[in-house]
Amino acid sequence: MIPALHRVCRRSLILAALSLIPGNPQRVMAETPPVPPFTLQKGDLVTLVGETFVEREYTFGQLETALTLAAGDKAPGLRFRNLGWSGDSVFGDARSYFGPPQEGFDRLMKTLGDLQPTVLVFCYGTVPVISEGQPWTEVPDLAARLGDPEAGLAVFLEGYERLVLAAKAASGSGIREIVLVSPPPLERVAPPLPDLTGHNVRLAVYRDAIRDLAKKHGWRFADLFDAMGGGKTPVQESTPLTDDGIHFGQAGYALAGSALVKSLGLAVPTRAGTEAPVEALRQAVVKKNRLFFHRWRPANETYLFLFRKHEQGQNAKEMPMFDPLIAAEEEKVAALAATALERLKQP
Amino acid sequence: MRFPLYPSLLTLVWCLVSPLAVFAQGGLKDIPDPSVDAELASFKLPPGMKVNLFASDPMISKPVQMNWDAAGRLWLVSSPMYPMIAPGQKEDDQVLVLEDADGDGTADKATSFAGGLNVPTAVVPGDGGAYVANSTEILFLKDTDGDGRADLRQVVLSGFGTEDTHHLIHTFRFGPEGMLWFNQSIYIHSHVETPYGVRRLLGGGMWHFRPETRRLEVFMKGLVNPWGHVFDHWGQSFMSDGAGFQGMHFVFPRSVFMTSPGATRILAGMNPGQPKHCSLEMPSGRHVPEDWVGTLIAPDFRGNRINRFRLAESGSQYTSTQVEDVIASTHRAFRPIDVKMGPDGAIYVADWYNPIIQHGEVDFRDERRDHVHGRIWRLSFEGRPLVERPKIVGQPVEGLLALLDAPEEWTRHFARQELRLRGAEAVMPALEKRVTELPAGAPDRAHQLLDAIWTAQGVNQFPAAWVRELAASTDHRARAAALRAVYYEPDRLGADDAFAMAERAVKDPHPQVRLWGVSLLAQLDHPDTVKAALACLDQERDEYLDFALWSLCREHAARWIPAVEKGNNPFGSVGALLFAVRSTDRPLATDVILSSLDTGEISEAAAGDVATWLAKAGDAGHLARLLAWANDDGRSPAAMRAVFTALADAAKLRRIIPSEGAESILKRLSQPGLDTETYQLAAQLSGEWKLEAARAPLEQVLLAADKDEARARAAMAGLVAMGGPGGAFFDRTATDHASSLRVRSLAVVGRTSQAPNAGAKIAIAVLQDMTDGKDPFGVFDTFLRSKAGPEALRQALQGVKLPREIALTGMKKAGTAPGKPEALVEALRIAGDVQPMKAQLTPEELVAMVGRIAKQGNAARGESVFRRAQLQCTVCHAIGGSGPLIGPDLVSIGASAPVDYLIESLLEPGKKIKEGYHTTVVTLKNGNAYAGSLVREDAAEAVVRDAAGVEQRIPKTDIASLQISPVSLMPPGLTAALREDEFVDLVRFLSELGKEGPFKVAPTAFVRSWQVLESNDRFFDATWHAGAGAFAVAEKQDVWRPVWSRVAGDLLMEDLPDVRSRRGNWGGIRFTLDASKSANIRLKVTAPAEWQLFRGNDELGLPKEGPGEVAVSLTKGSQVFVLGGPKQGGGHVQVELIGAEGVTVK
Repeated sequence: MIPALHRVCRRSLILAALSLIPGNPQRVMAETPPVPPFTLQKGDLVTLVGETFVEREYTFGQLETALTLAAGDKAPGLRFRNLGWSGDSVFGDARSYFGPPQEGFDRLMKTLGDLQPTVLVFCYGTVPVISEGQPWTEVPDLAARLGDPEAGLAVFLEGYERLVLAAKAASGSGIREIVLVSPPPLERVAPPLPDLTGHNVRLAVYRDAIRDLAKKHGWRFADLFDAMGGGKTPVQESTPLTDDGIHFGQAGYALAGSALVKSLGLAVPTRAGTEAPVEALRQAVVKKNRLFFHRWRPANETYLFLFRKHEQGQNAKEMPMFDPLIAAEEEKVAALAATALERLKQP
Repeated sequence: MRFPLYPSLLTLVWCLVSPLAVFAQGGLKDIPDPSVDAELASFKLPPGMKVNLFASDPMISKPVQMNWDAAGRLWLVSSPMYPMIAPGQKEDDQVLVLEDADGDGTADKATSFAGGLNVPTAVVPGDGGAYVANSTEILFLKDTDGDGRADLRQVVLSGFGTEDTHHLIHTFRFGPEGMLWFNQSIYIHSHVETPYGVRRLLGGGMWHFRPETRRLEVFMKGLVNPWGHVFDHWGQSFMSDGAGFQGMHFVFPRSVFMTSPGATRILAGMNPGQPKHCSLEMPSGRHVPEDWVGTLIAPDFRGNRINRFRLAESGSQYTSTQVEDVIASTHRAFRPIDVKMGPDGAIYVADWYNPIIQHGEVDFRDERRDHVHGRIWRLSFEGRPLVERPKIVGQPVEGLLALLDAPEEWTRHFARQELRLRGAEAVMPALEKRVTELPAGAPDRAHQLLDAIWTAQGVNQFPAAWVRELAASTDHRARAAALRAVYYEPDRLGADDAFAMAERAVKDPHPQVRLWGVSLLAQLDHPDTVKAALACLDQERDEYLDFALWSLCREHAARWIPAVEKGNNPFGSVGALLFAVRSTDRPLATDVILSSLDTGEISEAAAGDVATWLAKAGDAGHLARLLAWANDDGRSPAAMRAVFTALADAAKLRRIIPSEGAESILKRLSQPGLDTETYQLAAQLSGEWKLEAARAPLEQVLLAADKDEARARAAMAGLVAMGGPGGAFFDRTATDHASSLRVRSLAVVGRTSQAPNAGAKIAIAVLQDMTDGKDPFGVFDTFLRSKAGPEALRQALQGVKLPREIALTGMKKAGTAPGKPEALVEALRIAGDVQPMKAQLTPEELVAMVGRIAKQGNAARGESVFRRAQLQCTVCHAIGGSGPLIGPDLVSIGASAPVDYLIESLLEPGKKIKEGYHTTVVTLKNGNAYAGSLVREDAAEAVVRDAAGVEQRIPKTDIASLQISPVSLMPPGLTAALREDEFVDLVRFLSELGKEGPFKVAPTAFVRSWQVLESNDRFFDATWHAGAGAFAVAEKQDVWRPVWSRVAGDLLMEDLPDVRSRRGNWGGIRFTLDASKSANIRLKVTAPAEWQLFRGNDELGLPKEGPGEVAVSLTKGSQVFVLGGPKQGGGHVQVELIGAEGVTVK
């Protein structure tokens, strides 16, 4: 520790010294050591974990498509696994079936252990904000603290930290990157839908807190909230981003895709949204995602894996039969990504 | 072929799966004829009804739910993919739209509105498109370009569970107020993000959703498979249950029913023991016969029929009485799963068409599972003109409003739906004009006003003035409906006004209105909601109202508990305070309440309430005060027992005993003439409280077991609870061969409970004397419950012989015990020289067995095998509600389960286990364990019903783990004692249950639950003097045990024990009727000649021969009827209740 600390101190000193020189471009980096830019690399397996915003992305494929194109040809074999779950909390509420939230938390860890991802992307925070003052988790001792907004934020942060640390430990040694994405802003919608302005104010508070949490651990932070307009979007227009202020549609996810790429510091392929090969790629992504959904979150789990498996558990042998189908679709995704990138390079 | 990949993959799958599937593929021939003609020929209809085919395969396949639109088109979801996607299969289930353009009652066109769906389970057109349940999500699909195909696809809600695809969200229906209503079932756990916060529903329940505001809320929770939901004329909600056996349910906000996770209190349905139902509809209008209007029709998809029920108001709730079927079929694949009134006033039935109903018990890929057929049937009535199909689409607003006066609910509903589309701006002025012009005194005014309120809510308006007027109606149904209209959006009436309205409602003369008053209070933020609701206590309250109050006190606990903790009574009366604090299970205001018991301000009748609460919540000092109060010689026996029971619970569950005065209980042990029940409690308390002075008197009572067995059992339990140096007494008693088997058995049970190893030493000789195979005192159970017991007994069995029958009994009991002690089973098998039984059949043997059952099986003989005591079927299984609740009711098992499933279930019960019948194993910290079905579980205790039907209450503090175990409560080897021909008959009987024919339980209100009289000495002469009147006089030594009717509703003479008399063998039976209000009914009695009927001690004359009818006036409450007479003439006994709505057989 001491030599390392020594090195850091020495570097800090040098940086501090440099920062004293007026006009030196290093000045902005004086506070922290230089962080290499976020990249997606060859063979990366990216898991997306979160609430409804992440779950529904699997049917749109916009975030994945944008990240795939942003990674360019530097990341052959890049794959994504969407592990979002509607209504989830950082304690795993929605992922549990017949047990307490912890069962859902453990399920996620098991899935991560099976997948062995290299890049963990998390996006939590919408659920506690829209449920402010309500018991958004059923973890018994915590529910009582959720009546107070400040205590609620603390509960969220403690849970988030525990979740990411556990996920990192469960995912194996290949983890290269951990990214916390701030929840996206909510859209202002017209009556009779409710006014969500207050939620956006709170979302900004959560965004700041999540950024601090990421900083504390040296995790990446992507400010999707800011990149999507930070709640300053006008009242729903003719092409609304959301259906109800909180759930994004095709246009919303398209914007979120480019915003996420930007907030990660990656280059945005400027014409991406309009090209036919890009649309073909997106559709292949969605198709792959649907197959993976049936694989990791199949219907009838009660019979396949849980307490009635002694009756119909023989059918669980069908689940691995999705794997070759997913792999085949993934090859199509790779080929279409190459085509799309080629097309985008052309003038 | 829709799925080109599917067949080849299936072949691959089948090569890998169980022998059963291979066997099924190998040529089971019981697949019914799928032709339309075969199904048509199978229908049985009530007089005057006719059936025609509206639509069929290939036009449609596998309809799951259907709903009409305002244009009279029938929408349905079609899911050939069910039970789930196969690898490589394309997700392409459909939404189909059927049109009958020429109105001839037959669909002439089907359009695929949408495809690409994943096991869709519901569809309802609305808001210009259609809402579809698509596994985890609700979609809104819309055709924006007019080509008949949806081109807009929006996820409206997501996060619904898929843990079981026959429990996915389902039963979409627009309510009269314009909200989308839908249900989910037992295994589903849903988590949905809405602009108002995340909404979670774990287990079964019902949701409502307003699309324009996106507000989603839970309405009620529970039920196993709450498949049907219908609103009655006044907007009350009724539900059916596809797996719950309680028939029809009346539901209200926050009501909780069976199987809701974490529920500490649940409500019961209205038809205990009724078959399982899906969908629900309420006929209305001019085409159906007048007496069908307002009844409930509910398909019994297992029994290939549709049942009908008549509703009657009863307090805040309703009663439901089954009447004749709507339609029945002998066709095994007729699966009516949805029923809807149509635009022409006829009844439409969606027939899922499948010989196999679900996938819990039969392999997902079983070849007999049908993926292609499906039908819609149309039921109409001869001689009754059809209704002209109303023109709704395109009708101007005024014309639509005029349709609100139509006699058909179909027309009114779709007029409101169409108005909803037109929007508030177009609708409200005309609606206001209509209401203004309604004649003031018109008899329909209240309902017209309600229709106007619903219409306004449908366009998201809240007409406060109309709601206020309705709330002041003279019709209680209208007042209740007004409260429900406010319930969803109380703020729109104004928070104070809503509170004032609810406050008035809880004092309403009608309990239905009071129930809605309490429900509305539960929605409000006002600080005094609980105080206001407790005004209900000034009037009579039934179970539902009590539940609603209890639930409110708990939900709004934070609003009143702080005041009580400061020593105030925020409610005024002590009675109200007691109700509130009891609901919380916390020790609040204990001094005030105990003092009020002393002063009499709280009545003796309420002592049980105080005691059960303090047993859960109080401390030793509270218990001492309760004991001192209850053990007063002037106390009524009922009050004394209520308190003693609670004190025993406190000792057992919480290990708390009164801080002083415990020894005062001893005087009850020697009190002459004390009733048995109080003695039992006193014995238990003496033991639990370790009162050494009780030991000698308890031992004496145990030794006198032949005179009074009930007290002896209590004494034994008391001695066990006391512990201490009692082993020698048990050892001495068990080995004293001068004592009876009864006394010795009790001593063995006592000793084993204390020390299994010591118990084993004295047990063998006692077991050897149980030559009839009966173990009435539970010697085996005592060993099996303790951790060391099975091994202790196994060792003691080395080298000894047991009678075969008792060895078999032990093997059966061990088979369902926690941990399944295989070594003990083997030791018992050797000791009893029981041949190893064949528990598994090869696929070839199974095919041969199925063939034998079809050719040689005799269902009538099988029924008597089923009823044979030694086989123990009737110890656990009811048929149509007559019988115990331990195992699943078998009422329609034959119509729903393939024969090979029945065979396997009998031979290997653990292989297929019905929802809700899994064994829960509760392991205690000391290593002992209980196995059974979990009845309930709260913070203090878990309650498990064991295989003997006994509810075991286990303190939470003792529990190390509680796990669902993949073991059936049904013991293996039950059929080992059968000859093969008997087994064949038994399976044949089971396979006929529920099918059209003599083994379908008829809706006739027969008495099905009886008690039969065992012989005892006093009858030998008493019958000589008093005839069967001797049975009507209750004496302490008389032993009655429960027995249930045959499927035909009667009892045979062989079902009755011989009661020995000077005049030969007699039989005696009794039944108890419970009336919810006084009623004049008739009993149609069939009994052998010379039999007599008594009500209490009074004889009611029966004719000499044949069935006779007897008029009886019932008072509210229970009354006992006794029948008896000589058995030698043979014959059977049957009692039918006529005109007996609101009367139940206890």
